[in-house]
Amino acid sequence: MNKTRVLTGALALISLTTMFGACGKKEDPIPVEQELITTLRLTVSDSMGISSVFDYRVENGFGNGGGTVEIDTLKLQPNQSYTMSVQVLNEQEDPVEDITQEVISESEDHLFLFISNPATGTGSVTTSNGSLDSLGRPFNQTVTVATGGAGSGTFTVYLMHDPTDKTGTTPATSGGETDVEAVFPVVIQ
Amino acid sequence: MMLLCLYAGALKAQDGCRNRLRIAVLETHNFSPVHPAVLYIEELGKALETDEAGVVSVDSICNGAYTVHVHGAGYEDHIEKITVSGNASVRIRVAYSEHSLQEVVVREEQHQTVLQTKSNLTTGALRQNSGRVLAEMLQSISGVSVLGTGATISKPVIHGLHSNRIVMLNNGIRQEDQQWGGEHAPNIDPFLAGSVSVIKGAASVRYGTDAIAGVVLVEPQPLRNDAGWNGELNLAAFSNNRMGAGSLMLEHGVRSVPGLSFRLQSSFKKGGNYRVPGYWVANTGVQELNYAAALAYRKLHYGAEVFYSRFNTGLGIYRGSHTGNRQDLEAAVASPRPLVPADFSYEIGRPRQEVTHDLLKLKLYADNRLGVWNLIYGMQRNFRQEYDVLRVENGKAQLNLTLTTQTLNLNLDHRPIGRLKGQIGLDGMVQDNRFRTGDRVFIPTYQAYNAAVYLIERYRQDNWLLEGGVRLDLRNYDMTNYEGPNQEKVRYHLQYRNVSGTLGFRQELKSGWLWSLTLAQAWRAPQANELFSAGLHHGAARVELGNRGLKPERSFSLNAATEYKWHQRLNLELSVYSQLIDDFIYLEPGEDVLTIRGYFKTFSFRQTRAWLNGADLDLSWDWTDDLRTTAKASVLRARDQRQKDWLILMPADRLTIATRYTTSLGRRWQECFAELEGRFVARQTRIPSDFDSIDFPRPPGSYAVLGASVGARIMAGRQPVYLSLAATNLLNTRYRDYLDVFRYFLDQPGTNIVLRLRVPFEFKTLKNNNQKNDNNE
Repeated sequence: MNKTRVLTGALALISLTTMFGACGKKEDPIPVEQELITTLRLTVSDSMGISSVFDYRVENGFGNGGGTVEIDTLKLQPNQSYTMSVQVLNEQEDPVEDITQEVISESEDHLFLFISNPATGTGSVTTSNGSLDSLGRPFNQTVTVATGGAGSGTFTVYLMHDPTDKTGTTPATSGGETDVEAVFPVVIQ
Repeated sequence: MMLLCLYAGALKAQDGCRNRLRIAVLETHNFSPVHPAVLYIEELGKALETDEAGVVSVDSICNGAYTVHVHGAGYEDHIEKITVSGNASVRIRVAYSEHSLQEVVVREEQHQTVLQTKSNLTTGALRQNSGRVLAEMLQSISGVSVLGTGATISKPVIHGLHSNRIVMLNNGIRQEDQQWGGEHAPNIDPFLAGSVSVIKGAASVRYGTDAIAGVVLVEPQPLRNDAGWNGELNLAAFSNNRMGAGSLMLEHGVRSVPGLSFRLQSSFKKGGNYRVPGYWVANTGVQELNYAAALAYRKLHYGAEVFYSRFNTGLGIYRGSHTGNRQDLEAAVASPRPLVPADFSYEIGRPRQEVTHDLLKLKLYADNRLGVWNLIYGMQRNFRQEYDVLRVENGKAQLNLTLTTQTLNLNLDHRPIGRLKGQIGLDGMVQDNRFRTGDRVFIPTYQAYNAAVYLIERYRQDNWLLEGGVRLDLRNYDMTNYEGPNQEKVRYHLQYRNVSGTLGFRQELKSGWLWSLTLAQAWRAPQANELFSAGLHHGAARVELGNRGLKPERSFSLNAATEYKWHQRLNLELSVYSQLIDDFIYLEPGEDVLTIRGYFKTFSFRQTRAWLNGADLDLSWDWTDDLRTTAKASVLRARDQRQKDWLILMPADRLTIATRYTTSLGRRWQECFAELEGRFVARQTRIPSDFDSIDFPRPPGSYAVLGASVGARIMAGRQPVYLSLAATNLLNTRYRDYLDVFRYFLDQPGTNIVLRLRVPFEFKTLKNNNQKNDNNE
C-alpha cells in the first residue's frame, strides 16, 4: 500500500507543477487583417490626357470595428470617350499598399467587371476594349469608357477572384468570389 | 470469487431431442454480459461464441446433462453442469480474473452514476461503420443528429444542441479541441474506441459545465489482463471518394510481470473529392494519420495507466463555399449544379484545415478503507491551422490556433454506507488559447481556469433507486482582445460561478418493465467567440458580432424514460424530455453593414429563454430468432419563449427503420447477415416567422434514403475473418439536409459502397485449453 501512496503523491506533484508551470506569462500575439483591401480607385483620363481620380473607400475593409466609408461621385461629361484604369489599395498600411500589382501578377485568376445602371442612354457609363490577362482572356484592369447623355445613375465595379468563366460580364455569369463590390453614384453633366 | 447461479426456466418439453437451449453468460458483480466468450459444451463437442448480450443459443439439443466450459479473456475460466429437459434458459455467472476486477468495476460504476438516458453504440455497430467519422456513427442513436459542413466535417447534435453545449469525453478526459466552432469536427479517432455511448440530457454534475445537451463517451477497449499477444487489423475501402482507411492494433500482456500490459495502435485514412449525384465536389479530400499507445500496470488494489494519442488530419473544404458576398451566395443557391466544377482528385488545396491533437493521460487508482481512489491527469494540445483562399499563395496558414488544456480529477468512490453508495471529487482545469502574430482576426487569446467540487450519492432499495448530486464550479477567464478602428489592446477578466444539481429516480415495476425520472440543472459560461467574435463568415456570407455582456446559460431539464421487454421479442425504450434554458445564447439578425465587398447581414449574440420538448423512441421486434426489425424515431419542438416563436436551426422529425436477417451457413460461413435500412427526415417547417430575413433559402424538403449491408464471419481454419459490404444512399438520391452548412449550394453525397475487412488475431500459449481447441477443430 505504501507503494501506492508514493505513486499517488508523485503524480499529484508532477501534474500540479506542470499545470502551474504553464501559467507563466507569454507574449500576446497581434492579429492582422488578411489581404485587406480598403479602397478601389478609378483613374479616368480624357482624350487630352487630363485625368481625374474617384475613390470608393471603406476604412476597415470588411467592416470590422466600424470604420468610415467615403464614396466619390463619378462626375463625367456627356457623350465622351475616356480611358479608365482600376486600382485596389490597402490604405491601412503606411505607406499605402498598392494591391493592383499583385492582382496583375495573378491576372489569370482575377477579373474586373463593370455594370452601369442604366445600361445605355442618359446617365450610362459603358465599357469596352478591356485589357487581357497573361493567357489572352478578359482581365479589364484598364478599359475604354463611353458616357451617354446628361443624367445620373450608378456604376458598379467588381473584382472577382477565381472566376469560372472569364468571358462573363456579371458576377453571376463569371462565377468566382467577389473580392470588391464598389457602387459609385454617377452624374453626367 | 466465483459465484454460481442457475436458472432453468424449463418450458414445455417437446420431444426428447428438439429442445432449444439458451445460455446467458453474465459477470458476477455487475451483471454485464460477457462478450466475447467461448462456451464449449463437452458432450456435443461444440464451441460457441457469445453475442453482445452474452448469449449463446443451441437448437435441437436432447434432454440430458451437459458440462459447459466458459472461457473469456479477462475472466476466470469456469465449468458448469447443466441439465436439459425441454426448452431451457440458463444463466451462467463468471467473475473477472483477479487483477482486472478493480479496473472494470470502477469503470462500470462511474458510468452508471448518472441516471440520464444513455444509449450505446455497440462494438458491432462501431465495427460495421469503421472508417467513418464519429458524428456519422452517432447518428444511429435516436435523438442524435449531425451538424455537417459538407460530407467531410460533421459533429453530433443531441436533442437539437451541439458544439459547446455537448461534452465529449475521450478516454475519460474532457476533449478540448475548439469545439465551439460549427465547422470544427471532434478530433477523435473512432478506430481507438471500444465503445461509444451518449448520455442524452444535462449531465453537468459529473462531467462539468457545458454538458447541457449531453455527453459523448468514447472509451477504448480495456487492455488485456493475461499474458500473450493479440491484435486486430481493419481495412475499409469507400467507393464515393475512393477513400482507403485502416487500422492496426497490437496488444501484449507481459508474462514475467503479471498485471503489466501495453497496446500500440495506428490508423490512417486518405480520400479524394467526394461525389454528389451527378457531380464531383471540388477540393473535398481528407487525410488522417493517427497513433496511440497505452501502458498499464494493474494489481488487485492499485494500478497505474499511461495513455498517449496523436490525431492528425487534413481536410479540404469545398472551394465554392468561400463566398465573397451575399450576391455570390445567392448565385450559388440559384445554381442547379456546384458552381466550382471539379474532377476526381486526391489533392487538397485552399481552403483547408490541418489539425493535430495530442492527448496524454496519466491515471492512478488504489483502494483503501474509504473506497476506490482515482487520480486522472490529462494534457491536451490542439493545434489548428486554417489555410484561407489567397490572392497570392504564400504557403502560410492564416490561422494558427493552439489550445493547451490540462485537467486533473480526483475521485473517490466511497464504500457503501448502508444502502448509500456514491462518489465525491475535485476537478481542476487550466487552459491557454492563443493564435500567432500575423494571423487573421478570429478569437482573442485567453487563459481559462476552472475548479469544481462534486458529490453524487445513490440510495438503492430492492427494486428502486434514488440518486442525487450537486456540484460547485468556478470559472475564470483572462482575455486579451484588439478593438476599435485602431485595434487597441483591451484586457478582460471574467468570472463565473455556479451550482449544478441532479435528482433521479428509477424503478423496476415488474420483470421487464423499468421507468426513470431525472431532474437536472446545468450551466455553461459564454465562450470566447460569443463574447468577442467580430468577423466575416465566408461560408454564410455574414458578419458575426460578439457580445461582452452575455451571462451564463442555465438549463433546467426533466427526463422521463421507460423500458419494456416482452418475451425476448419486443424491446421498447421511450424517453420524453422537457428542457428550459434561461439566457440561451443565439444569433439575432441586425443591421446590414457596408464593406468593401458590398453589404452584409450582421448577426449579434443575444440571449433568450429557450424551451425544448421532445421524445426519442427505440423499438425492436424479433420476428424469429434470426429476423429483427428495429425502429427509431425522434421529435423535437424548440421554442423561443420571449419572442413566442420557433428556434432556428433545429433538427426535423426523423424515423429510421431497419430489418436484419442473421444466420450461419455452416462451419466456414458464420454470423452471416443482411440488413436493409431506410431513413426518413421530414422538412423542418417549425422555423422563426422572420426566417426569410435571417436565412435563405427556406429549409430543404423532406427526404428518404436507403442503406443496405451484408457480411459474414468467415472461418479460415481457426482464424476468423470478418468481411462486409455496405452501401449508403443506395439509390443515389438527391437531397439536402437542413443541418448541413453546405445545404445552400451542395446536395448530400451520392451512393457510397464500402468494403470492410477485420481480422482479429491472437497468439497465446495455451495451458489448460488444449482439450477445448482440439475439439474445436
